Amino acid sequence: MPSKGYQILITMLPKYLTSVKKVDNEEKMSGMAIFTGDILMEDAYYAIPVRSTISFGKILEIKVPTLPKNYYFISAKDIIKENVCNIIVDDWPVFADKETHYKGETIGLIVGPDKKKAIELSKLVEVKYEEYEPVYEMKNSYVHKEFVKGDKEVFKKASKVFSEEFETGYQDQIYLEPQGMLMWLDGDKITVKASMQCPFYIKKAIMRTLGYPEDKVRVIQPAVGGAFGGKEHYPSLMGAQLATAIVKIKKPIKMIFDRKEDITFTTKRHPSKTNISAYLDDKDNILGVKIHVGIDGGAYIGCSMVVLSRALIAATNTYTFDNVEIVGDAYCTNKIPSAAFRGFGSPQSIFAIELFINHLADFLHVNPVDLRTKYLVKTGDITSTNGVFRDPIILKDLIDKAFEMSDYKRKVKEYSKPGTYRGIGYSTFLHGCGFTGSGESTIINAQLRMKKDKDGVVTFYTSQVDFGQGNRTTLKRIVVDTLGIPEDKVIYDAPDTDQTLSTGPTAASRTIIIVGGLVAKAAKHLKEIWIDGKEQEIVEPYVGPSYIKWDEDTMQGDAYPGYAWGVNVIEVEVDPITYEVSIIGTWSTYDVGHAIDERIIIGQADGGLAQALGWAYLEKEEVSDGEFKQTRMSDYVIPTFVDLPKMETALIDNPFPYGAFGAKGAGELTFVGGAPAFAIALEQAINRKVHKIPATPEYIMELIENGN
Amino acid sequence: MIHYFVPSSLKEALKILNENDCYIFAGGTDLMVQKHLSSGLLPNFDKDVLFIMKINELNYIEKDNEGNIHIGATTRYNEIEASSLIPEIYKTVIKEIASPNIRNMATLAGNIGNASPAGDSLLPLILNDAEVVLSSIDGERIIKVQDFILGVKKLDRKQNEIIKEIVIKPQELDYFYRKVGSRKAESITKVSFLGGYKIEKNRLVDFRVAFGSVSTKVVRNQEVENKYINKELKDIDIDSVVNDYTNLVTPITDQRSNKEYRHKVAMNLLKKFLKEIKGGRDE
Repeated sequence: MPSKGYQILITMLPKYLTSVKKVDNEEKMSGMAIFTGDILMEDAYYAIPVRSTISFGKILEIKVPTLPKNYYFISAKDIIKENVCNIIVDDWPVFADKETHYKGETIGLIVGPDKKKAIELSKLVEVKYEEYEPVYEMKNSYVHKEFVKGDKEVFKKASKVFSEEFETGYQDQIYLEPQGMLMWLDGDKITVKASMQCPFYIKKAIMRTLGYPEDKVRVIQPAVGGAFGGKEHYPSLMGAQLATAIVKIKKPIKMIFDRKEDITFTTKRHPSKTNISAYLDDKDNILGVKIHVGIDGGAYIGCSMVVLSRALIAATNTYTFDNVEIVGDAYCTNKIPSAAFRGFGSPQSIFAIELFINHLADFLHVNPVDLRTKYLVKTGDITSTNGVFRDPIILKDLIDKAFEMSDYKRKVKEYSKPGTYRGIGYSTFLHGCGFTGSGESTIINAQLRMKKDKDGVVTFYTSQVDFGQGNRTTLKRIVVDTLGIPEDKVIYDAPDTDQTLSTGPTAASRTIIIVGGLVAKAAKHLKEIWIDGKEQEIVEPYVGPSYIKWDEDTMQGDAYPGYAWGVNVIEVEVDPITYEVSIIGTWSTYDVGHAIDERIIIGQADGGLAQALGWAYLEKEEVSDGEFKQTRMSDYVIPTFVDLPKMETALIDNPFPYGAFGAKGAGELTFVGGAPAFAIALEQAINRKVHKIPATPEYIMELIENGN
Repeated sequence: MIHYFVPSSLKEALKILNENDCYIFAGGTDLMVQKHLSSGLLPNFDKDVLFIMKINELNYIEKDNEGNIHIGATTRYNEIEASSLIPEIYKTVIKEIASPNIRNMATLAGNIGNASPAGDSLLPLILNDAEVVLSSIDGERIIKVQDFILGVKKLDRKQNEIIKEIVIKPQELDYFYRKVGSRKAESITKVSFLGGYKIEKNRLVDFRVAFGSVSTKVVRNQEVENKYINKELKDIDIDSVVNDYTNLVTPITDQRSNKEYRHKVAMNLLKKFLKEIKGGRDE
C-alpha cells in the first residue's frame, strides 16, 4: 500500500536518499514479465503428485493402474543415488519410501503429456498403509538447544517468580505466484527454471539426489512473484523430484501448484509456545530470566534447527538481563514440515517477551514504559549469547520519535479510561542481519564475479533473486554509483548458475548488508584497477568482520554481523458487538543503517507490517487430524487495502561500516514487531491480557466473556 | 460428453433446458470456483452447461404500474448498484459483496440460484418478500425467495425451469444491516443481520428480522415478527425477543468461525437493532 507517511530524519549522503524507478517496474506493470507458469514448451509433460492420505504409517503397497503410453509413475524406486532432499538436515526424503510421516507427503509423481489425464491417473494410484498413532502436539523434541548468560545461581535467590506462556500460530506466505518449476534437458544437462529464492539450493538438491557433478545442473531464475521464505527450501524438493523423473523420461516436465495445493502442502511459519519466567528480588529488580521456546517443526527437521537458533538468540529482544537461561526445542509432529518465513523464528519469541514484560509491569504495579526502558539494551551491552552489541544503538531515539509521531503518551492515558474500546501499544525489536554467527565466512563464503568489456560495460553476477523486494534495482545502483558510470553501462541480470558464482541464498536479510557490501567492494576494486579499452574480470571474496566469533554448538559469541532496529506503535479499536478489530493507525521508526533507496525501504516497511498484522489477528490456519482447515484465500484471509490504515514510517540514519553505503538489512525487521504492538494495543482496548495469536474475533469474544 | 449451450433468446434456452439437465451459468463467479480443476485446464463440469449471459432480453431493471421492480436474470450487481430504481437497502447490501471485479460479473439471480446460507443478497430479498419468476416451456410461476430456497444448495426448481426475473416490492421501512466477515472487504459472511421496521405513533407497525450464515438458509420467522407487530414500543421487551430467536439461530462451526461466536454475535446484533427501535431513529 502506498504510503506518504515516511520521513527521513538525518541524511548522511543526500544523493542516495532519492528513489529511482525499479528496473522491473515496466515488465511487471505491463504484464510482460515471464513467470515459470508462463513459459510455454510445447512438448512439456506435466507432473502430478500422488500424496500420502495418512499422517503416519508404513507404506505396504503402491498399486499403480496400467498406464497408457507416455505416462509414468515415478517414486522412491526410481531414485538414482540418494533419496535425500538437501535442506540443512538430511531427513526429508525426495519421495516417501517405507514410511510416510505427514498427510500430503509425496509418494510419487504421475508424469505425462496431458495434464488432465495425469490428474485422473494420479487419483487411481492406490496406496495401502499400516497406520501408526500420529503425534500432532509439541511433545517429541528432535532438536534441543540451551545456553546461559551470567550466573545460574541467582535463580535460587529470587523472592518471587512471575511466569507466563504464549502461543503463536501457523502462517502461510501467500506469495502472489504459487510454487512452480519447469525442467528440461539441454544435451545431458538438467536445466531448471522455477519460482525460487535460492538457485544454488535447488542445484545442490538435484546434484545430491542424482549424484551429478556441478556442470550437469543449471538453474536459471525467471520472474518470481513473491517468496517470503516459502521458496527457500520447498523448490529443492520439487527439483529433486522432477530430476528423478527427467532422467527416466527425458522430456521437459512442468509442475505448477494451484493456490489450494500450495496452501495445503507447502511449508509455513512454525507455530510456537514460549514460556518465560522472571526471577525477582525483594525490591522487584529482575535478577534473571528463564525462557523456553518450543517450535512445531513438523515431520522433518529440514531447517528447523536454524529457525530455533534464531528464535532463541532473539528471545531477550531489546532487553539486557544480567542472568539469562535460554532453552529451546523443535518438536517433531506428523504435519507438513515448517520452514522459512520472514523473521525465521524471531517473531515468535519477540512476541512473547514484548507481551511478557508488559504483563510483568502490571504484576509489579509499575508503568510498563518505565520497566521496558530500565532494561533497554545499550551500546556495549553483552548479548544473551555473550557477544557484544558493538555498533551504536539508537533505540532511544527511535522510541522518542515513534511516540511523538503517534502521540502515544496522550493516547495511552486517554484509552485507559473504561469504555473507549480503543488501545495503543508499542514494540521495540531488533533483527540480526545475515547468517548466524560467522556463517557468512565459514558456511556461505560468497564470491562475486564482475567483469568489464572493451567498451567499459560492466557486468556482475549474484545468486540473489529479486522476487519483488527490489534488490535488482539496489545492487545495480551500488555499482553505478561506486563506479560513477551511466546506468546503461552496467548489466545485472537475474541469476543463472552457469554464469554466477554463489553469493549465497536470498534469505536472512543478508542481500544488502552482505552481498551489497560485497558488490560495493568489488566495484571499488574494479575502479582501482580500471584500464580503459581493456577487458577485465575480478572475483571478489566476502571477508567478514574479524571480531565476529561464534560457536554454534554452545551458542556462544557474536550471533550476527550486524543488527537492525525498529519501533512499532499501533492503535486499534474493538467493536464490542461483533468483537472485530479495526486498526486505526500505525507509526514505525527504523534503523536500517543507511537507506540506499528510501522508496524500497518504505515498501518493505508497509508490506512487512501488513503481513505481521495479518499474522496477529486475521490469518488463522487450524489443523484437524493432520490437515489444514483453511486452504483457500477466502478462508485463509490476509489483510486487504481496506483493512489497513495509512502507515507512517520514519527512518533514522545510523550507517553500518560493513554494509554498502552503510546499509543494514530491512526485509525481515519490518515484520518482527507488528504482532506484539498489536496485541498490547488490543489488551488496552478490551482490558484483558492476550496470550496467543491470531487474536481473532472469536478469541476476543472469549476473552471479553470469560474475563482474565 | 459435456455439452455447452450458448442460446441468445429465452425461448431457445427453455427448449434446451427442457431436453437437458444443465448447470445454469450466469456470471460464473460461484461455478468457476466450485468446478475449478487445475490451472490451465477447463473447469470440471460433470453435466451440461447452459450459458445465459448472451440472452440480452433478460438484462433489465424495470418498474411496473404497481411500483414493483423487475430485475432480469442476467442483470449484474454493478448494474443494480447503479440503478436509480433500486431501493437503498439493496445497494447497501450489494456494496459489501465480494469485490468490484466480482460485482462486474455476478448476478442477483445467480446468488439466489447458488442457495448458499452465506449469500448476502438473500437477506433483503427474503426480508422484503421478494419473488422470483420461474420460466419453463410449460409457462411461468411465481414463488417467494424465502420459499424457493429450501436449504444449502437446494431449490424448489424443476429441471426445466430457469429464474427469469426477480420482483422486488417497494418498501418504506427503516433498516439496520450488519455483515460480519473475516475482514473488511472481499470476505465471505460469518454472520449477518438485517432488521426492518416502521414506527407510527410509538407503535411498531412493521417489524422484520433476518439472519444470514446461521442456519441452512436465511433465518426469518414471521410468527415471531407478528408477535411484536402493533405493539407499543415501551411494551417491547428486548430479552423476550432475543429469547424468541435464540433457538431459531442454529449456526455451525466451520473453517471460518465457530457456532458460539456466530450465535453470540447474531444475538448482539439483534439487541442492538432492538435498542435502536426503542430509542427512536435519532438516538
